[in-house]
Amino acid sequence: MDFSFNQDQQDLREAIRAFLDRHAGPAAVRVAIEDDDAFAREPWARLVGEMELTSLAIDLERGGAGAGFVEVGIALEELGRTLLPVPYLGTVAAAGAIADAEAAGAEAAPALAERIVAGAVAAVAIDEPAPEAAAAVAAGELRLDGVATHVLDGAHAELLVLAAELDGEPALLAVELNAEGVSVEPQKTLDQARGQATVRMAGAPAVRLSAPGDGGAAVARAGQRLAIAQALESVGAASRCLRVTVEYLKERVQFGRPIGSFQALKHRCADLAAELEAARSTAYYAGWAVDGAPEELPVLAPMARAVCGEALLRVAGESIQMHGGIGFTWEHDAHLYFKRAKASELLAGGFRAQRRLVGTRGGIVGASR
Amino acid sequence: MDLRFTAADDAFRAEVRDWLGEHLRGEFAELGGAGGPGREHEGLETRMAWERELGAGGWIGLELAPEHGGRGATLIQQVIFAEEYARAGAPARVNHVGEHLLVPTVAAFGSEEQRQRFLPPILRGEELWCQGYSEPGAGSDLAAVRTRARLEDGRWRIDGQKVWTSLAAHADWCFVIARSEPGSERHRGLAYLLVPMRQPGVEVRPIIQITGTSEFSEVFFEDAETDAANIVGAPGEGWKVAMGTLGFERGVATLAQQIGFERELEAVIASARESGAIADPAIEERLVDAWIELRTMRYQALRTLSSPAGESASISKLLWAPWHQRLGELAIDIAGPEATLVGEAYELGGEQALFLYTRSDTIYAGSNEIQRNIIAERMLGLPRG
Repeated sequence: MDFSFNQDQQDLREAIRAFLDRHAGPAAVRVAIEDDDAFAREPWARLVGEMELTSLAIDLERGGAGAGFVEVGIALEELGRTLLPVPYLGTVAAAGAIADAEAAGAEAAPALAERIVAGAVAAVAIDEPAPEAAAAVAAGELRLDGVATHVLDGAHAELLVLAAELDGEPALLAVELNAEGVSVEPQKTLDQARGQATVRMAGAPAVRLSAPGDGGAAVARAGQRLAIAQALESVGAASRCLRVTVEYLKERVQFGRPIGSFQALKHRCADLAAELEAARSTAYYAGWAVDGAPEELPVLAPMARAVCGEALLRVAGESIQMHGGIGFTWEHDAHLYFKRAKASELLAGGFRAQRRLVGTRGGIVGASR
Repeated sequence: MDLRFTAADDAFRAEVRDWLGEHLRGEFAELGGAGGPGREHEGLETRMAWERELGAGGWIGLELAPEHGGRGATLIQQVIFAEEYARAGAPARVNHVGEHLLVPTVAAFGSEEQRQRFLPPILRGEELWCQGYSEPGAGSDLAAVRTRARLEDGRWRIDGQKVWTSLAAHADWCFVIARSEPGSERHRGLAYLLVPMRQPGVEVRPIIQITGTSEFSEVFFEDAETDAANIVGAPGEGWKVAMGTLGFERGVATLAQQIGFERELEAVIASARESGAIADPAIEERLVDAWIELRTMRYQALRTLSSPAGESASISKLLWAPWHQRLGELAIDIAGPEATLVGEAYELGGEQALFLYTRSDTIYAGSNEIQRNIIAERMLGLPRG
């Protein structure tokens, strides 16, 4: 029983944080949001090329680093702190689904894993709202029709891993986004630091990742990894948001003293810190369980997503309040965290719904045990 | 990071389980979970006999080094013991204060003579301890203690009043923070004394609580005595020693406590099913929330085991105390109108006792407001008011 990160993992965190401090500060985030349609291309190229963050958990045989989800989680948390607009979440969620498929013997998987190692950006459409797409074999080739909405970072991806119907059952498929028959329509988003796209497919060529009969389970596993990835991101974002708020409370003077000396504010910060630490522990446990205890994921994934997402929502809302007027401005970063928090909740179908899933899957309520 | 138990851990767990299976029988098994929160008075004599049984088995102070009578158990082994103990439905421990507060303090700060004198009787389950910290004028502000101690003819003489002392009526000894330097203020000039309870200068008056029962007492010291050698640390260092005691929480006790919470929550869920209250979506939501939060507290406690920080005890308390209160509220809401009735002598049902007793959770052992100050100032670095 050991809940601590080993030296390599700590070094990884240090390296990522140092890189992000240097190349992805608040100014870089703003530039990417305002001038570059929510894609920090230069930092991304280095995160992928030099730091090889997207291939962390990809098998050594495919050219990856052969690490696990705990390492990916460290990267997610650190990137989450900055809100740097890069398509990391979708790419590692896709990479995880591809690795899962390779383990189950999917023919298409090894080449896709190598593409990601080579720097391909991927997106996923496996979550709520579920894509409305169906695939069928026509003239010996798998073709896909339908639409996937709210695809995170879809405009910057070349590969999409999605849930679709095939032979009357759910299946996990991959489609090339620059192929004929695919159109990608970028959307303007409330969360300025994360773009979305609507992907329309009409006879688009696709490859199958899930084995017949295992499609529903493969989609579920991919969704659980995505949920836990978001939990880790949220913990990172909430940590930075609380840290920035606390620093402000130490500096801002009113009534002749730093406002952080008032218990009305101190006690709220302490409550937020306690909630955040519990959320962090939950996210770390869930991140470990992805490889270490996959049988726990059906309960852990919605739990981590809700608990960590709620912590971010609360911290971000309180951050605006405790900053006072400046926290309400466009100029200040507080709203970026607040918007990320709410968008994450809405795209989860509501945290209350995630909690209900825990209730039924955990056997606390309802018939499904 | 590996959150599974090792084969060695599993073997230890089997040993604990076997021992409990063999010894938790007869009158001990009949106690069930007696003595829980709000029920400290239940079955005390049998529970004391059970303490001696545990002591003979080597299960008290198991973390101590073998030369001090322990097993040198690792943190994980302590957790395993606590988990198995709670799962077996064994009686609530009587000498928590002695085992978890006094033992580590004497082990860390005491002299070799003090270790030889005071540890073995606790480890055998023979001597009971209580804690003399709070006073009428020194609750959250512990440094305001006014109890005085003076050294006279080779004896410490103690005058003053302590309050909210658990088990005072049954304890053999009390560890007392007293002002040993006249005119000293705040954290300076305090002594950490070990004082026998059974003497003419000590009077115990039970406090009747909102439950109608009494776990806590007032303790009056009037020219009470203890040997000059019964001071832990030097005179004037009492604050340091006392704070050390509070800092021994490393998640083990929290994890053990959570097993008890798990059982309480299971009982509440079962009663909601039985009464049909679970069909109410609002009740269902609260049950699920309670279940989720208990899980997150477990992950938090496990992480604390691996990387303890000074504030982790404060974080833990801010999580569990309000959780426990909400569980009490949920339990009594599920019970409904029947829970407005009590026994002839104000005997309470389980859900009533839980509802009322948990009001103390956010007050004792450092009120939650004090815990918030600790987190804000020590962990977040916010300025003192």
